[in-house]
Amino acid sequence: MDVSQYLEIFIDESAEHIQTLSDCIMTLEKEPDSEDTINEVFRAAHSLKGMAGTMGFKRMQHLTHDMENVFQEVRSGKLAVDSSMIDLLFKCLDAIDGYLENIKASSDEGTEDNEAIIKELNDFIAQANGEQPAPAEPAPAEEAPKEEPASEGDISTKYKTFEIDDSERNKLLDAQKEGQHIYGMTILLQQDCMLKAARAFLVFRAVEELGQILVYRPSSQDIEDEHFDLDFSFYVASTEEMAKVEKAAANVSEIDKVYIGELTDFSVHEAEPEKKDDTATASASPEAGAAAAPASAGATGAAVAAPAAPKAPAAPKPAAKGNAAKKPEGKAVTSRTVRVDIEKLDALMNQVSELIIAKNSLVAIGSTDDGGFDSQNFHEQIEYLERITTSLHESVMKVRMVPIESVVSKFPRMIRDLSRTLDKKMELTMTGEDTELDRTVVDQIGDPLQHLLRNSADHGLENAELRAQRGKPEVGQIFLNAYQEGNNVVIQVGDDGNGIDTEAVKGKAVERGLVTPEQAETLTKKEIISFLFMPSFSMAKKITDISGRGVGLDVVKSNIEQLGGDVEVKTALGEGTTFTVRLPLTLAIIQALMVEIRDEKYAIALGSIANIESIPVTDIKYVQAKEVIHLRGSVIPLIHLDQILDCPPREEQPEELIVVIVTRGDSQIGLVVDNLMGQQEIVIKSLGKFINGNKLISGATILGDGEVALILDTNTLM
Amino acid sequence: MADYSLETTAEKETKQYIVVQIGNERYGIDIGYIDNIVRMQKITRVPKAQVYFPGIINLRGEVVPVMSVRTKMELDPDVYTNASRIIILKIEEKGMLGIIVDAVCEVVTLSREDVEPNNISSAHAKDNFINGIGKNGEQLISLLDINAFIEDDNK
Repeated sequence: MDVSQYLEIFIDESAEHIQTLSDCIMTLEKEPDSEDTINEVFRAAHSLKGMAGTMGFKRMQHLTHDMENVFQEVRSGKLAVDSSMIDLLFKCLDAIDGYLENIKASSDEGTEDNEAIIKELNDFIAQANGEQPAPAEPAPAEEAPKEEPASEGDISTKYKTFEIDDSERNKLLDAQKEGQHIYGMTILLQQDCMLKAARAFLVFRAVEELGQILVYRPSSQDIEDEHFDLDFSFYVASTEEMAKVEKAAANVSEIDKVYIGELTDFSVHEAEPEKKDDTATASASPEAGAAAAPASAGATGAAVAAPAAPKAPAAPKPAAKGNAAKKPEGKAVTSRTVRVDIEKLDALMNQVSELIIAKNSLVAIGSTDDGGFDSQNFHEQIEYLERITTSLHESVMKVRMVPIESVVSKFPRMIRDLSRTLDKKMELTMTGEDTELDRTVVDQIGDPLQHLLRNSADHGLENAELRAQRGKPEVGQIFLNAYQEGNNVVIQVGDDGNGIDTEAVKGKAVERGLVTPEQAETLTKKEIISFLFMPSFSMAKKITDISGRGVGLDVVKSNIEQLGGDVEVKTALGEGTTFTVRLPLTLAIIQALMVEIRDEKYAIALGSIANIESIPVTDIKYVQAKEVIHLRGSVIPLIHLDQILDCPPREEQPEELIVVIVTRGDSQIGLVVDNLMGQQEIVIKSLGKFINGNKLISGATILGDGEVALILDTNTLM
Repeated sequence: MADYSLETTAEKETKQYIVVQIGNERYGIDIGYIDNIVRMQKITRVPKAQVYFPGIINLRGEVVPVMSVRTKMELDPDVYTNASRIIILKIEEKGMLGIIVDAVCEVVTLSREDVEPNNISSAHAKDNFINGIGKNGEQLISLLDINAFIEDDNK
């Protein structure tokens, strides 16, 4: 089978499974007994193995197979989860990730066999079996568990054991009265079956040609949604012979086994063996044939088809398989592709239809018979159109938004690894993983955040002794909080560690000749911290794998600035450091205030504007020879935009100045403009790579009349 | 018919150039770089940009930076006339760039034999952007080295 067309799906899904595994293993480390987690882990490993096998990636399959075996042992209670095992499992995950990377790059898994890891995995399994009180049969883990040997026994009789309700029983009885045979069937799909629901559908279709399916287990809806593991059961009423029905089902490909038996009586438990000589009747279930047949009457099914000499299961196994199938799918994992909520699409669709209506009304106005132009109606329609486009914009933006979870979900694992390498105890707490950001931003925010976390782990947190001395808890706290604030998303990354030693930074800056010792004395704390963001300025005393190479915060800063955001640092020596990353919600379209300076038009992002004031020239005061205004208790520096934009000077000085007050964090400045033109939604366009203007111009936009206006990035003025 | 024979013989190693007028010299621009030629239009000034960038224009909804060939070559400043044109170049990686020329004259096809290397040494800025001299009959055309031309002076 040519599977190359599935490669993309495979890569996406594998990545999801690996993430699930990673998450679950983390949880497992904390709560080794959580059965749900073990089941979820098992399922993910299992799917991964199946997928790798189908795609022909034998090495990957082999590794996941052995990994699955370990989970199997854990699930059966033979192995306890300990930290060496978690380490190994993570190593395993990394190896699998390595395969996946290879596959991404070259569609081939590469040649690394990872024998060492496989051997370690097998050691674990051997250890588990060694401790077993010598079971007679070989441990299931050692046989290729092509079919789950343990659950096989259950599956083959599954159709006899499930419960039916009254209405179903009536249906069955009715059919029986009409002289139809009732067959119970359980279908076991092949381990690596890709499209389980589709297979089930094919089986149903084949069987329905011969009869009518009356009862589904799990329900037909669950089967359609693939909410089942590898097997499903149903009762079919048919006038055909059993062998024919069985054959019809077995003809569908990717079916491992078909178990079938005729059910004759739903109130009496007497079984009527149909097939072969096997009469391994389902357990006694000795209901009196009398009246209100208990629900479990369905269990009095007939014989079993080919129990395939059930290998006595080596260990008692919780019916995890069954549980797994019944449980709703594991928690949603955000994938690399944007998945759009159907509601968002519906909203979009609605708005588009409104847009069409608006267009039609405008057409109608344009073609009125009397030739007159109903200007009031026209304006109403324009307003209507405006409303629609605004909400359309919002909807489209929402579609582009993805939760930052896809990026931050790898961090707990990273911190765990760092904790090992650095030999410091630390813990990462994250909040607001569901905060949504534009997809382009989310894609690029991962590296800077990772960097900040590494910084916290390596530089921020003190070693155990120092923490003890300072009376801090032994386990260092690292946090990542994300939340939305107006048109921005704020992500705070910080720790309760040492904080930044501004004196040391100052010393380093002097040492490197960035400032003279005299200048250094007058520097504010903020200015000192800004040294840390300079290229190749590292405070690490020794270079480690984690940090200290001097390519760090400057990259973080420039990455974030590229996204239109900024970074702030708050630090207290001995108490910790917090980096606050502020990012715009969306990139492409913003609300802006259009202003005029001489005959040039500029746009200022509305989000950064606090208010607009008209200030008499006489109110301008001077502080340190700089113009300021005193406004409602705060002193705000004034900047004449015409001067910094090299505009020709005004011919006559006005008596009142129009001042746009912009804010960033806590600071405010007033921008003097000539004229206000109003608020407008603008599409941001880049100036291209040729013009190296100053940073003040962050882009351009095209106005309604085709003219180009420049967008001012007021943050650079602060 | 004469043209036809010329084209067939010239098929080996020929290039087409658009000949433009800048000052009293004629320059050839490799047609492979050219996306479009548009009339002069309003150029929006970009403060603090390099001097030879008078600004940006709106080219069918896209913002395109415009460079003054004259300023870049340290000639007299542009005087926009009816014949002035903006030639839109498409440059890989760096995107679109418009350059202002005094006039667009014609399209010529030059074979390799028609092009002589630029041996005239000169200290004048404008001559650094020439990578050959094309002979089109009696006419001499300075062939612009686009890559050198778009190179940022400040680097």
